[in-house]
Amino acid sequence: MTAYIIRRLFSVIPITMGVLLLVFVIYRVIGGDPAVRLAGKNATPQKIEQIRKTFGYDKPKFFNWQEAWQNTKPAFAQFRMEFARYRSKEVGVGTVFQAGFRLLRAPMAVFDSQFWQIVRQFAQLDFGKSLQSNQRISRMMADGVVPSLCITTPIFVIELFVAIALALLCAFYRNTWLDRTFVVISIVGMSISGLVYIMLGQYFFSFELGWFPVWGFEGVNYVLLPVAIGVIAGIGGSLRFYRTIMLDEMYQDYVRTAFAKGASHKQVLFKHVLKNAAIPILTNVVVAIPFLYTGSLMLESFFGIPGLGRMTVDAIYTGDEPVLFAMVFIGSVIFVIANLITDLCYTWADPRIRLQ
Amino acid sequence: MTDTAANSAALAAKPQTLWSTAWRQFRRNRLAMICLGIVAIYVGVFLYAESVYWFARLRDVVPSYKVADFAARNAHPSTAHWFGTDFAGRDNLAQLIQGVRIAFEIAFLTSAILIPLGFLLGALAGYFGRWVDTFIIWLYSVVDSVPSILSIISISYVVGRGMKGIVIGMGLVAWVGLCRLIRGEYLKHKQRAYVAAARALGAGHLTVMLRHIAPNVLHIIIIVFTLAFPRFILTEVILSYLGVGITGEPSWGVMINDAKQRLWLGVWWELGGATAAMFFLVLALNIVGDALRDALDPKLKTAEGSKA
Amino acid sequence: MLIVLAFHATGCGSSATPGGRPGEMVYYGEGGDIKGFDPVRASDVDSALALCKIYEGLVEYDYLARPYRVVPCLAESLPEISADGLTYTFRIKKGILFQDDPCFPGGKGREVTTGDFIYTFKRLMDTKNYATGSWIFAGHVVGVDEWAKASEDRSKPTDYSRPIPGFEAPDRYTLRIRLREPYPQLLWALTMQYTFATAHEAVEFYKDDFLNHPVGTGPYRLKRWQRNYRMEFERNPTFHGQLYPSEGAPGDREKGLLADAGKPLPFIDRIILYNVREYYTWWQMFLQGQIFTVGISKDYFNKVVNADLELTPDMVKRGIVLRKEPQMDVYYLGFNMEDPVGGGGKTPEEAERHRKLRRAITCSFNQEQIRETYAGRLIPASGPITPGTTGYDPKKIYPWRFNLDLARKLIAEAGYPDGKDARTGKRLRLSLDMGGAGDAETRQLGEMYVGFVRQIGIEMTLNFSLQPEHWRKLERKETQMFSAGWVMDYPDAQNVLQLWYGPNESPGVNHCNYKNPEFDKLYQRILTMQDSPERTAIYQKMADMIVEDCPGAFMFHRLIYALLRDWVVNFKPHDFPYANMKFYKVRPH
Repeated sequence: MTAYIIRRLFSVIPITMGVLLLVFVIYRVIGGDPAVRLAGKNATPQKIEQIRKTFGYDKPKFFNWQEAWQNTKPAFAQFRMEFARYRSKEVGVGTVFQAGFRLLRAPMAVFDSQFWQIVRQFAQLDFGKSLQSNQRISRMMADGVVPSLCITTPIFVIELFVAIALALLCAFYRNTWLDRTFVVISIVGMSISGLVYIMLGQYFFSFELGWFPVWGFEGVNYVLLPVAIGVIAGIGGSLRFYRTIMLDEMYQDYVRTAFAKGASHKQVLFKHVLKNAAIPILTNVVVAIPFLYTGSLMLESFFGIPGLGRMTVDAIYTGDEPVLFAMVFIGSVIFVIANLITDLCYTWADPRIRLQ
Repeated sequence: MTDTAANSAALAAKPQTLWSTAWRQFRRNRLAMICLGIVAIYVGVFLYAESVYWFARLRDVVPSYKVADFAARNAHPSTAHWFGTDFAGRDNLAQLIQGVRIAFEIAFLTSAILIPLGFLLGALAGYFGRWVDTFIIWLYSVVDSVPSILSIISISYVVGRGMKGIVIGMGLVAWVGLCRLIRGEYLKHKQRAYVAAARALGAGHLTVMLRHIAPNVLHIIIIVFTLAFPRFILTEVILSYLGVGITGEPSWGVMINDAKQRLWLGVWWELGGATAAMFFLVLALNIVGDALRDALDPKLKTAEGSKA
Repeated sequence: MLIVLAFHATGCGSSATPGGRPGEMVYYGEGGDIKGFDPVRASDVDSALALCKIYEGLVEYDYLARPYRVVPCLAESLPEISADGLTYTFRIKKGILFQDDPCFPGGKGREVTTGDFIYTFKRLMDTKNYATGSWIFAGHVVGVDEWAKASEDRSKPTDYSRPIPGFEAPDRYTLRIRLREPYPQLLWALTMQYTFATAHEAVEFYKDDFLNHPVGTGPYRLKRWQRNYRMEFERNPTFHGQLYPSEGAPGDREKGLLADAGKPLPFIDRIILYNVREYYTWWQMFLQGQIFTVGISKDYFNKVVNADLELTPDMVKRGIVLRKEPQMDVYYLGFNMEDPVGGGGKTPEEAERHRKLRRAITCSFNQEQIRETYAGRLIPASGPITPGTTGYDPKKIYPWRFNLDLARKLIAEAGYPDGKDARTGKRLRLSLDMGGAGDAETRQLGEMYVGFVRQIGIEMTLNFSLQPEHWRKLERKETQMFSAGWVMDYPDAQNVLQLWYGPNESPGVNHCNYKNPEFDKLYQRILTMQDSPERTAIYQKMADMIVEDCPGAFMFHRLIYALLRDWVVNFKPHDFPYANMKFYKVRPH
């Protein structure tokens, strides 16, 4: 078990590096030179060059072979000289070891490149500064987390419980008019763009009826409408998904056995089906966790919630690459960690999985 | 498990059976048949819109849906304009029809990237296993980890705005689901008797992969395409909102985004028209996709999460 | 999960500050996207508006007087200018304090002296600050360019003890600026936020974070700033005090603008500005009373304003007043003069053909149609000079105004009869860079342009890009045609004529890359000329040269109509309204 967990923990590293590589390739390799943007509107070529130097954009993209070779050559010569002096008993063995150590270190300069600089920086959770507002990105993120969670957590929790409750209801009364109504409602709900829900919701409930403030994040009443819209827009998909899971379980052998034993409908549903559906439900829940962090892009920017979603949309509008870079990266890392946690929960819940 | 080999041998011998049984089952689902009819109507509209577009393009004239009439700005729905007119007095119905064209073009072009990519990578991973599998799993885990809307935007940011950006962005992100399913199927089929038989008869790896196994996983591609289509349409709306949408041609996403400015004036027909046009197509495709899945491969049901 | 929920409960509670305390005058408005509170770096309108509530300079615009004039702010009076126009001597008011801030010893703000201004000017010239406003002094003041050059050395911090010969401090309260050549725009330039007094203690104390901690002398101080969402300003208790002007332009007294004459500023206690990006949200918030002012977009115009440009009764009943703000700006479509199709051309014969093509395209733009679409909120432009500036002639007729017959004739002469190349028979295809990706209004305007050139047979594709991308393309001369606008920094036509000065070509502001030696010679001449009829005549001559050569199609000047709640009083439209919030007053409502 421990070995499995450790193995699984290590598998996070290549994926995280992969994400970093992917984002780096998109923004820096194909995307063009950030120095030109940093320099602003009336920049001279010298100024751009200066910025390029300061931020290290003049370095190679992935591997600095040239630097490594230039470092290694003298180090090797040094090592040979020290070794010769050691052979002729001029210096002790310690000096040779020192020279050898330097020789081993010299090729490390190959990592003196833009990509590895970002790896080092991100490992220390330093995401640099926003091009647009010149703020530290880590600080912007810290500011945005709470408002985002104020919106997404209630949406997430309410949607989860309502969807599961309705799914159980549908499974209980499957193939009756009740079930069919819910299925139709959920498919209809899924077929309307989320943007339309937001636009109409804001228009009617805030503007026309004046029940809620139109925009802002000053108190609880500012959060109610976005949460309600978020739940309504998302519930169709969730309900359909959980219903499928419940029905899948309903046709399993153990359910038939339970019925044969004489257990009541209700008992079977809550005791057996819900318990066994827990694993697929858990997967779906964990997959949705990064959504808590990235916030809802649309909801936040429509309702003026100063969270991470709005920050991301701002970054998209203004072409603020470092912010996008950081958001994509953190979002991915949270996803990877969430997946890891699910896997570990699985093994804990069902030891057979480990063997597969 | 013992009779699987026999089953699949039968399947391999008579591949028609799967399709004909599926069709029989599908036909019994009346709702799905109605929806298939709706999709057929949309296809008809798409062909019409495409011909309007190409006719104007080849004749080098201004297509009718682009002709502005500033005297009739934001006109109410009437017999002349069933869905009213937009800010430049262009007929909204004509724009909606062109929106069908854009939606289908996006879906087809995206699929043209997604399907070969997902199929090939999935097949390679499932068939060869070992390091190929490890690498491809790593690749799709990486792509899957990045929040999809952000990676689509990142890609379209680089390749350029508009149709190209949307199509390449969605294509390079959405292949993961298909790849996973195909990989699973290939893992299964690899072990079956017919594959071993084909190998024994001297068929090469490529032949087995593409000639023998591929026909048995074809239905997955169809299901994935039908279910992904509505998601492309809904994603296009969000991308339009984020400023990476279609430019120069009318699309539903652009229309919805334009409409929000004018809702206050009581101009509901722009939003209503685009939402309705989108709604019926997405709904029909969702239902047809579900029915197809039930008919072709009921086990796929929970293969995709609730959040796209 | 539990942790997350607990986190969430406290988070929502702490950020709630609705309403105001009783008896307090609070103003709610839209603040836009600002780039921080560092005066030397803020070049956009929104940042300037925010900064000018906190920082102050030597001089400012008179709030009520028209035409615009400069009045002293932190200076005691307007400067003494030497006869040769090369030396400006300012006397700074005594007893002006920086606002209280932890960066000062004991947290108490200290007195402003000449040294603070010189320090500010040096910061502006320090290349390490990437200051966007260094053009104010560069090339004009004795010794600044050498100083700026020395600051380029990245290996050590810039030496602020090194003097700039052009900025002298004979005593604590006297500042002398020495110029290389007469610089008639200097006083206008000093009203801009770049030169506003900053304390070196604040810059040194906050370092990188200085842009989040403004420390100024002005009527307000920053209470809370939630980036991208909300700014809150409160009255600065140690403000040096200023009185509401007791003289105005003719008619101001009748409008009630002098009711508060002589009363101490500012009136409003707290200002809360939201960053509402979506226009239509802003509009809804205004009608709901969440904020006090809003611009009117073209779509809404007919609903709130009737044919006589008066507010509809419904709006009047809601307690809304209409305000009309003329804008000192010009919008044009530029041709890249280095483009092989429409550019300057290699031979005189080719140049002439290309000039005709540019004129033909310009003639196809129906300015009247745009004006109608925008419900009359535009003034069709007839040249580069903006309204309200000397040299602008409202009666001037644009020779390339909408005229399809002329356009068709010109395009045929240019070698493209009916928009098709006479030699190859291929349709002429052009591309226009609009910028403004994601903005519906920009897209719609672009679609109108496409429709116009289609009438003379030209097929035009539109490119939309984000602002940084758009600028980058312009700087690299990668466009064929582009849409651009210029908002005046000060009311002097020289400011807009620099757009066509050869040495300013991309990456400078001359994005058309227009080069005309004769024009350049005149431009160099006007740089040092004081305002005179002779200079105005030269301005007009230069404008005519540009119109004749047609490197850009001049489209319109904006005329902004906006709505204001009638409980906001003392409001007078202004082209440079950056510091005007201190004059506004909110009546109980």
